[in-house]
Amino acid sequence: MAETFPIYVWINEERFAKLQEAGLADKAVEAFAGLKRLEVHANEAQKDELLRRFPGSKCDLSTTRSIELLPRAFKDKLFQKVIEMRRLDPEVVEEALKST
Amino acid sequence: MPKKRSSKKVSPSSARKKAVAKVDNALSPHGGKLVNRVVEDKDKAKRLANKAKVELPIRDQHAREIVSIAYGFFSPVDGFMKRADVASICKKMTLASGYVWSIPIVFDLSDDEIRSKGIKEGDTILLKYQDQPFATFEVEEIYSFDKKLMAVSVYGTDDEKHPGVKRTYQYKDKFLGGRITLINPPIINPPFDKFWYPPAQSRQKFKEFGWKRAVAHQTRNVPHTGHEWLMKGAWFEAQSDVNPNECGILVNCVVGEKRKGDYIDEAIVLSHAALGENGYFKQGTHMVSILLWDMRYAGPKEAIFHAIVRKNMGCTHHMFGRDHAGVGDYYDKYAAHEIFKKIPDLGIKSVLTLEWWYCPTCAEVTYEGLCGHKPQKFSGSVLRSILLDGVKPTRLVMRPEVFDTVMMAADKYGFGNPFVDDKYLNERNPVMTVPPMEV
Repeated sequence: MAETFPIYVWINEERFAKLQEAGLADKAVEAFAGLKRLEVHANEAQKDELLRRFPGSKCDLSTTRSIELLPRAFKDKLFQKVIEMRRLDPEVVEEALKST
Repeated sequence: MPKKRSSKKVSPSSARKKAVAKVDNALSPHGGKLVNRVVEDKDKAKRLANKAKVELPIRDQHAREIVSIAYGFFSPVDGFMKRADVASICKKMTLASGYVWSIPIVFDLSDDEIRSKGIKEGDTILLKYQDQPFATFEVEEIYSFDKKLMAVSVYGTDDEKHPGVKRTYQYKDKFLGGRITLINPPIINPPFDKFWYPPAQSRQKFKEFGWKRAVAHQTRNVPHTGHEWLMKGAWFEAQSDVNPNECGILVNCVVGEKRKGDYIDEAIVLSHAALGENGYFKQGTHMVSILLWDMRYAGPKEAIFHAIVRKNMGCTHHMFGRDHAGVGDYYDKYAAHEIFKKIPDLGIKSVLTLEWWYCPTCAEVTYEGLCGHKPQKFSGSVLRSILLDGVKPTRLVMRPEVFDTVMMAADKYGFGNPFVDDKYLNERNPVMTVPPMEV
């Protein structure tokens, strides 16, 4: 199976309230003794497109293999798409990319 | 698309075979003597400035390197390198004199500038920074050098996406080599002033602390608890043959060219200091300092450079973790660990650290190889992403005092942002200011 690259959407109180409202609170997984995050997966092409579109971002290849340092505005859009589409796979990333 | 990589590989083993490194061990500086090219006497400085026939404004990178050379951070280097040094570094990873050295320190200038200014070998140039006389430069040699060879030798690749390679390719047509003299020492501005310890001063400070062992921690990051545990682990190793109060940690923050999205410099130095101020390190065991240097991201080669600089600062040990000074996937995770096995003894011991993660089973930061549980990996980038998302990290990954200091620094120095943005790049308070000087 082709490798996917996680994008962590870290959950603050505002985001958690929206997840609860949408009945998606269980999609958030716990990390680091009390933080919550959504793990949205991008495929290789989407990873490359994200890194191209947001030059400050990076794929943390040496540690987590996750896509990091994406701008808050994109993460907000991605979060919104998760709520709308109720999924965490590359389809969501595709839609977030289209609307950004 | 696959990255374009050069097939030419760096070969430290050939450097080992060919180089006859002249290394003084113990606590002596690299080359045996700390370079001091700083003129404090104003009359003498004016006399030197007046000898110069040509004035030349310089960019930030060169200004930082001049300060670092003049104060001895780069000992035994006492100026910008001549061709023989650069060629020797590329071929053998040593200076022409035989001392191990891994990254060329060069002064580039275009043919047009050389022609229009009438610069010739044998001239002394007055280098100006921030519109003030700054340093004199005795131009002993004007030369060309194959930039691709330089890039491949230092970075192990000719891929222009590598920031160090890109910097190398951006150098102008010619290089000028010769000794520099800092005639107008800059004022280091707050909050960096209290972390400014040139090698002579850091060595003095170590004496005052009573340190017989000092382990260096290289950083360009705000500390998370993984960093803290790396430092503590390194301290245990460095301290093993002396009393606990005879060993300390020197945090040496690289302050140089910033890229958008980096932590602002002020957040880095102040948050490291916050670890000591808030009792995570006992007073007298932890000291924060700065190094004016533009990161080259040369991975193992930069690790060697860092070891030399910290040796000059008086350190006996240097910690190297995963992907030290690396970028992307250009270097193996532990390339910096391997390269020290292949060069002559530098006189500073490497403390090679592995990966510390948060373990949800142990509920603490630990090493996977110790507890055997599945860790939750984190990195500086992950922490930055958490902050970018507007979330306060839990204390097990970032100390609350560190987080509070980062946010304070954002308000005070970063225009509300702990990360570098256009406003910070354009309007930040400079790290150093060159005082007015009449010549």
